[in-house]
Amino acid sequence: MWYHKPVVDEELLQSLPNLSVVASSGVGVDHLDLNLISSYGVKVSNTPFVVSTDTADLGIALMLASARRLVEGYEMATSPDTEYFPADWLGDEVSGATLGIVGMGTIGYKIAERAKAFEMKILYHNRSQRKKEEEGAVGAVYCEQVDDLLRQSDFVMLAVNLTPQTRGLIGRRELGLMKPTATLINISRGLVVDQDALVEALQKKIIKAAALDVTYPEPLPRDHPLLRLRNVIVTPHIGSATRQTRRLMMEEMAESIRAGLAGLPVPRRVL
Amino acid sequence: RGIRVGYTPDVLTDATAELSVALLLSACRRLPEAAKQGKRGVPELRLHTGGCGGWTTWKPLWMCGYGLSDSTVGIIGLGRIGQAIARRLKPFGVKKFLYTGSGPKPECAAEFGAEFVPLTRLAEESDFVVVSCALTPATQGMCNKDFFSRMKKTSVFVNTSRGAVVNQEDLYDALAQGQIAAAGLDVTTPEPLPTDHPLLSLKNCVILPHIGSATYATRNTMAVLAANNLLAGLRGEPMPHELKL
Repeated sequence: MWYHKPVVDEELLQSLPNLSVVASSGVGVDHLDLNLISSYGVKVSNTPFVVSTDTADLGIALMLASARRLVEGYEMATSPDTEYFPADWLGDEVSGATLGIVGMGTIGYKIAERAKAFEMKILYHNRSQRKKEEEGAVGAVYCEQVDDLLRQSDFVMLAVNLTPQTRGLIGRRELGLMKPTATLINISRGLVVDQDALVEALQKKIIKAAALDVTYPEPLPRDHPLLRLRNVIVTPHIGSATRQTRRLMMEEMAESIRAGLAGLPVPRRVL
Repeated sequence: RGIRVGYTPDVLTDATAELSVALLLSACRRLPEAAKQGKRGVPELRLHTGGCGGWTTWKPLWMCGYGLSDSTVGIIGLGRIGQAIARRLKPFGVKKFLYTGSGPKPECAAEFGAEFVPLTRLAEESDFVVVSCALTPATQGMCNKDFFSRMKKTSVFVNTSRGAVVNQEDLYDALAQGQIAAAGLDVTTPEPLPTDHPLLSLKNCVILPHIGSATYATRNTMAVLAANNLLAGLRGEPMPHELKL
């Protein structure tokens, strides 16, 4: 299944008595009722590691685009109303700034590796601390309390998976702790953020900007305030959107399906 | 006429390298296009996003770009900015760095294992081409029909040096005919481009308003340096950064 379609609900499971495996694209499985599917004896697989690099790349791309005002700049450069480029049109530098990574899994760590090359100071929050060698390789400092990370970061990057514990992880309180000059970047899942609180924080300039590859729902209704804010970039969930990776995802899903149908152990099994 | 000239090199290396990478990523991941799709259908934005497609018809290959993983990056001009760009691209899984210029620079190239090659080979073998050289009589119009015809159909071309290094008509043809996949330009000839310029009509050409060094921090530093150059000049003293004429 691609991009959580078809919906795997009771009705579908009952109508497909011979279903043995659901191969889901991407790494997130928050759109699947795993208990329900398991109760029908159906196996579930995902495509975890293959998406990591492109998603990390996109997280960095969004951070840079937001800081350097790329979307606005592109509009200015291509607008028929532009007569000259103003000399005082400026953005903020990423180099040397502080990046706080919330969720230091495979994707979070790749983000740290990339950010290090920009001489960024890297803080991270994770369920557990990473090994010293791993921290040392990217110069990442552990923040056991996410509050400490939020207070110090110029850029906050969300790279957690969506679970009951991470749902609404970034709400009104957390946004209030962030610097008024800070930017929130979300490449995880829309529901990790309290979206209404985010709109309020942006409108009241409690934080400076946001760049979101994921929202809730996707797509956002066309009258949603996030789509009207100048300091918000919204991309349509393109974290893994490169030809090479989508091809690899397809191959992995096909492999998992073939194994499942042959009664063999299913690679990348989630259940 | 005996007029001295001060300038502000070096202090803008990081900001410009950063913008070059930002532009490369925006071009290869189709960021402005995607951002437009994200806001498509919002009445007051009056975006011209074209006909069919859009988010309601999500497909696995919709809005797909090209990744940096296992790629070959070719840098034209491995000066301070070129090196700073290579440094930033390295952790993105780049397999190989190539570079070209007036001559090899083994000490600088060693950090990236970069290989000095002729311009033609750089064009043929690179998945990403980044132009970060100075504009000189030798580099004027260097990126032309021959250059683009040698590049891969899946490659991305980025210029943050000077518009005149690129033959813009040839670039347009290369993009329109699918000879290269995408381009990112922070610099053009002229700036801004006239409103009817064909490059403006291409979805796969990301154009920025010459913002390589446009950050508060860097422009402040440049301004202070320029002022100090000026004051030193007025006092008849050596300038912090004087251009030898």
